Amino acid sequence: MSGLKNLMPDSNRRPPAERRSAGQPGAAVPTWFARVTRLLLSTLREIFDESAYSRFLARHEMSSCPSAYAAFLREQEGIKARRPKCC
Amino acid sequence: MTISIRILLWLGVAALGALALGTIALHRGEQINAMWLVVAAFCAYALGYRFYSKFISAKVLALDAQRATPAERLEDGRDFVPTNKWVVFGHHFAAIAGPGPLVGPVLAAQFGYLPGTLWILIGAVFGGCVQDFVILLFSVRRDGKSLTEMAREEIGRVGGFVAYASVISIIVILLAVAALIVVNALKASPWGVFTIAMTVPIALLMGLYLRRLRPGKVLEASALGFILVMLAIWGGQWVSQTPAVAPWFTLTASTLAVVIIIYGFAASALPVWLLLAPRDYLSTFVKLGTIGLLALGIIALRPTLHMPPLTRFIDGSGPIFAGSIFPFAFITIACGAISGFHSLISSGTTPKLIRREPETRMVGYGAMMAESMVAIMATIAACVLEPGTYFAINSPAGIVGQLPEAAVATISGWGFPVTGTGMHALAQAVGEQTLFNRTGGAPAFAVGMAHIFSSSLGGQAVMAIWYHFAIMFEALFILTVLDAGTRVGRFMVQDALGHVWKPLGRTSWYPSILATSALIVAAWGSFLWQGVKDPLGGINSLWPLFGISNQLLATVALCVATTIIVKMGKARYSPVTLVPLAWLVAVTFTASWQKMFDANPRIGFLAHARQLASSAAPSHEISRLIFNDRLDATVTGVLVCMVALILLESAFMWMSVLSGRMQARVKEAPFVPTRFAAEEQG
Repeated sequence: MSGLKNLMPDSNRRPPAERRSAGQPGAAVPTWFARVTRLLLSTLREIFDESAYSRFLARHEMSSCPSAYAAFLREQEGIKARRPKCC
Repeated sequence: MTISIRILLWLGVAALGALALGTIALHRGEQINAMWLVVAAFCAYALGYRFYSKFISAKVLALDAQRATPAERLEDGRDFVPTNKWVVFGHHFAAIAGPGPLVGPVLAAQFGYLPGTLWILIGAVFGGCVQDFVILLFSVRRDGKSLTEMAREEIGRVGGFVAYASVISIIVILLAVAALIVVNALKASPWGVFTIAMTVPIALLMGLYLRRLRPGKVLEASALGFILVMLAIWGGQWVSQTPAVAPWFTLTASTLAVVIIIYGFAASALPVWLLLAPRDYLSTFVKLGTIGLLALGIIALRPTLHMPPLTRFIDGSGPIFAGSIFPFAFITIACGAISGFHSLISSGTTPKLIRREPETRMVGYGAMMAESMVAIMATIAACVLEPGTYFAINSPAGIVGQLPEAAVATISGWGFPVTGTGMHALAQAVGEQTLFNRTGGAPAFAVGMAHIFSSSLGGQAVMAIWYHFAIMFEALFILTVLDAGTRVGRFMVQDALGHVWKPLGRTSWYPSILATSALIVAAWGSFLWQGVKDPLGGINSLWPLFGISNQLLATVALCVATTIIVKMGKARYSPVTLVPLAWLVAVTFTASWQKMFDANPRIGFLAHARQLASSAAPSHEISRLIFNDRLDATVTGVLVCMVALILLESAFMWMSVLSGRMQARVKEAPFVPTRFAAEEQG
């Protein structure tokens, strides 16, 4: 599960006490479940280009707005149009 | 876990796998539960991943955890992005999973469940997974270069040209076959046509939501789109049952073909990206959800297989496609076992996301195992049907007869009982006028899926909803393959024509866009038209052509992989890619020869042309069919000759390196140590 460490930035932002309690018996959400959910969401965000949009905003130092998303879509068109879809 | 416990655990997995495979292979005259296939697959994949892929990683490829990948060295936040391995796995799987692993196994089920299942398992573990893994790693070590670039650099100019021509050919044939599957699934089906038509306004709404209301929230928009699609499926029932409305959406195969050809051209040539992008997201959302749902359904409901392990059609007289198990089972099932098209994905986006070199094993080998599991599920979906029902749906009118009575008599005469009233009741249950002659695999898969789910979730009352959900899923996904493929083909042609005359290569110059789009659409459109007008249903000639070109592309990929392994000084390990390469050469060359020259008119294109020429009075229709046969034979011959060229060039390269006449030099990017290793240790 070493790959999961790469998804840790979000969780590391939480206070240590909260992190500890998540893994303890009786905690509302078990740590493994939270990790798997986060992983699944990260995967879906990558597949559905939400992560690409976040990177685009960071790269261009923009905040999310209709014009920023339109610019992102224009950039994506150039990239995705050359990407084959498998049979 | 101690070593002895591990050994015991893996021995247990091997024993369970052997038991499951033995049950699948040796049961005769009794129906078996689908879970035997699932257990056999899980055990085969577990053993293959744990031992074979580890052997390849350590001995053949020598994966280096200290070496920086292009995602790290060239990180730009756009193309090159170091990404978590599980995320890349999901991304790669979503890219390689298409209609192929669903349709191919359904068609190959005409031989029974055994040949397809064995080929899917053995082909994936020793062929498909290996191909995807090694091509991914070699692309990672070459800054994410494409297969055609690697072929040109490592084998030579002929290799590069052949790879390029193979890619173009397979795209054209793939698009034609994909379009034919959609046509056969939607013809005379107002419910299906309405549902698919509704995805256009739904995609526009999603686009509006994404651009105006919640920019970039694709998952939200896709979930919203999914709910609307489900409403459209529900509304489709009303459309199909309303005599005033149903005729608007009741289209013939020819009309649907024309509509799809126009759609393909518009998607490639017009600035409709804002419509296509949300539809693409919606299609991916539905695809991943459906695959997950089917997996859960099979495991939870554990259906019984009604198809025998082997049918009488192993002799080559099958109604769905003619030809014996060898070689036709192995080209009919491509994507679930080994697919050349995957090498394009493995040398496309994925290598630019890989964070650490050892992760190529999980992404390349592992994602193909998941794709192979999808093919096993498709086999199950086809084989849960009564064989008579399966053959009634999949057999073309040219074989079993136009009228239901004739089809019932023919299929029952083969030893697979089916009745007209039973088929009529089934058609009514799924909301169709008829299920006879619905060739292409998609309707049979949809009926199988509806059959599995309706046995518990909602019962017979919602069988029609399940059927149309499956049809919508396949048609929607295939249409996105169609528009994406047409655009990719257009760019490839523009790139090539740009060498002849520069303006033609400019992707923003409208005359070039229109001309190259028309060229690509005309190429696949003509094959589609041929399939629609084919009295044998089209699938008989086009699916083998697709299988041959896909496996020939895999041959090219394995030539590249073997050449690099030999040049790496690892020739003693070259059988890892050489054995699947030899198998594919045997399969594709035999299939090509038979498709061109076999004396049986149902198999050989030229024999069929001769039969038409001698038995019928000359007419425009007959002349066109004869021309189509000769065209198919020529395309097959040209593809085989090109791949023979790359084989010869590769073999010459291997001999030169091994005899010392040529200094082996691989063209990898220079070694740069990764910073991630230190970060992880720290």
